[in-house]
Amino acid sequence: MRSLRLPGFALAIPAWAWLVTFFVVPVGAVLYFSFGYKPGIFGTHATDVLSFDRYAEALSPTFFEVFMNTLWVGIAGTLLCLAIGLPVAYWMAVKAPANRRGLLIALVMVPYWTNFLVRTIGWQIILAPEGWMSQLLQTVGITDGPLEILYTRAAVLIGVVYNYLPLMILPLFVAFDRVGPALREASKDLGANRVGTFLRVTFPLARPGIIVGLLLVYIPLMGDYITATVLGGAQGNMVGQLVASQFQAAQNWALGSAMAVLLILVIMVSAAAIGLLLWLVSLPFRARNRVVLEASA
Amino acid sequence: MTTTAPETTMTDAAPGAAEASAARTPDAPVARRARRSPVDTGLTVWSVLVFLFLFAPIIVILVYSFNNGRLLIAWNEFGFEPYRALWEKPAVRDAVAVSLRTGAIAAVLATLLGTLAGIALARKPGKWALWFIGLLLLVSVTPEIVDAVALLPWLVFLGQDAGLSIFNDGTVRLVVGHSLFSTAVVTYIVRARLVGLDAQLEEASADLYARPFTTFRRVTLPLAMPAVLAGLLLSFTLSLDNTVVAAFVQVSGSTPWPVYVLSALRGGLRPEIAAVSTVMLLLTLAALALVAVVLKRAGDSATQIARTMSGG
Repeated sequence: MRSLRLPGFALAIPAWAWLVTFFVVPVGAVLYFSFGYKPGIFGTHATDVLSFDRYAEALSPTFFEVFMNTLWVGIAGTLLCLAIGLPVAYWMAVKAPANRRGLLIALVMVPYWTNFLVRTIGWQIILAPEGWMSQLLQTVGITDGPLEILYTRAAVLIGVVYNYLPLMILPLFVAFDRVGPALREASKDLGANRVGTFLRVTFPLARPGIIVGLLLVYIPLMGDYITATVLGGAQGNMVGQLVASQFQAAQNWALGSAMAVLLILVIMVSAAAIGLLLWLVSLPFRARNRVVLEASA
Repeated sequence: MTTTAPETTMTDAAPGAAEASAARTPDAPVARRARRSPVDTGLTVWSVLVFLFLFAPIIVILVYSFNNGRLLIAWNEFGFEPYRALWEKPAVRDAVAVSLRTGAIAAVLATLLGTLAGIALARKPGKWALWFIGLLLLVSVTPEIVDAVALLPWLVFLGQDAGLSIFNDGTVRLVVGHSLFSTAVVTYIVRARLVGLDAQLEEASADLYARPFTTFRRVTLPLAMPAVLAGLLLSFTLSLDNTVVAAFVQVSGSTPWPVYVLSALRGGLRPEIAAVSTVMLLLTLAALALVAVVLKRAGDSATQIARTMSGG
């Protein structure tokens, strides 16, 4: 290829041009609209006077509550995914028989690749007040009346934890698998008990995978639109729905754009904050755990 | 790191005893079975419960696809009635056809763009690569809903104000919307595969006086092929799954299947939704099984396959 006189990035030009035309330009336009306003009832946006007014409007108490709700669902959902997924990933990588691992990965994959909307509808059937789960709980006597969880924030939380859990389990599995049995055995040979081995060898080495998992779950979860639409009512509103309703029902592209830009900013800032927090928390442990995987780059 | 060492599956044994079992052959199942601690049992039980959780709604959809009632949520009686919608209801049939058609076109397009970009990233890295990877990251982390609301006005502008009537076509709009994220995914996968392979083969080919295009066609492309195929099938399933962007950019008359379901949500879901979803799920699983087989043939381990399938 050395005699080729084209620049090195020539082969990337088609993809670059495609993404610029259908991603950078339209998203840039949204950024531009967000400084405009909605002219009259029939207009969707105007940009002859630019201001930050739409941002102020997007953060007014009614909408601000939705932003806070989204953050709550985002953080609680991500932490729940970690708490539920970590033991499973550890079991898959360390305890489960090696020849079953491919099958187990496939089992985590199947829900992930089932249509997002359809699996969320599956939860709607399970959680419905007239559904079988509700009847079962009443028959057994756990609840008095029908199950009243659908169209609440709790239902949205169940939905998002379910929908994004595979994105937590897979990177954690890869991380635990990468540590390999040799280091754990070495740790035990040197007299560490199993808790010590997990806390001082396995866990620190798997930390990059944990951070990847947290980000893979948190980022799409914050922008979620489908789960909240199917399972959340007025109480389970998320910013994604707010953006959609401004563009569709309210026909206020300027305000919708400001909300979209704010959503991206909130995701980026909070993800960075979480990353920083994790780093700070891990600092005291770092000095004592100097185990490095040399050839793992 | 000893990833090449034979995999041992010993459970964590008590200290002291570990030395004894480590001295033996790595696969000593007898000793392993004897020492099952409560922690291990707890982990296993927890994992089984989580797997049940993961499959609960899918099993529900499967079961309810045989619901002969009028409404999906209210179980009436067992029957195959819902499956008849596949050939009896034109709206359902058309929606599935639109999904399959746009899925195929979007997958080919994303694979073409992503493969070329992935090869460039792996073989010609430089300052530009940082910018390009930054763009890909931006594409992957932007919420779908933002893509959706951004694309709709842009496509309307291109189609009506700019007079490019091709963008008024339903299939074209869906393909554009579905191809963005897929292009990024294919690029990651192809890049990852080629970075892992030495460039010596391509250099040898050049040393043997092959023209650049010949080297590309006969050396680089075959090396990247498993990743290309995996990317193609993943793009296809991503496109079948795409609901949010599709709901915004679609033109009435070419509604893809997930958008049909989304609009049915407002008017009460019928059991045929579950029936068609079951068929689509089987289709997706077939495509993914094919990906796994392709990657396995190419020598990937289960871990590498897991990495590829979760999007690089």
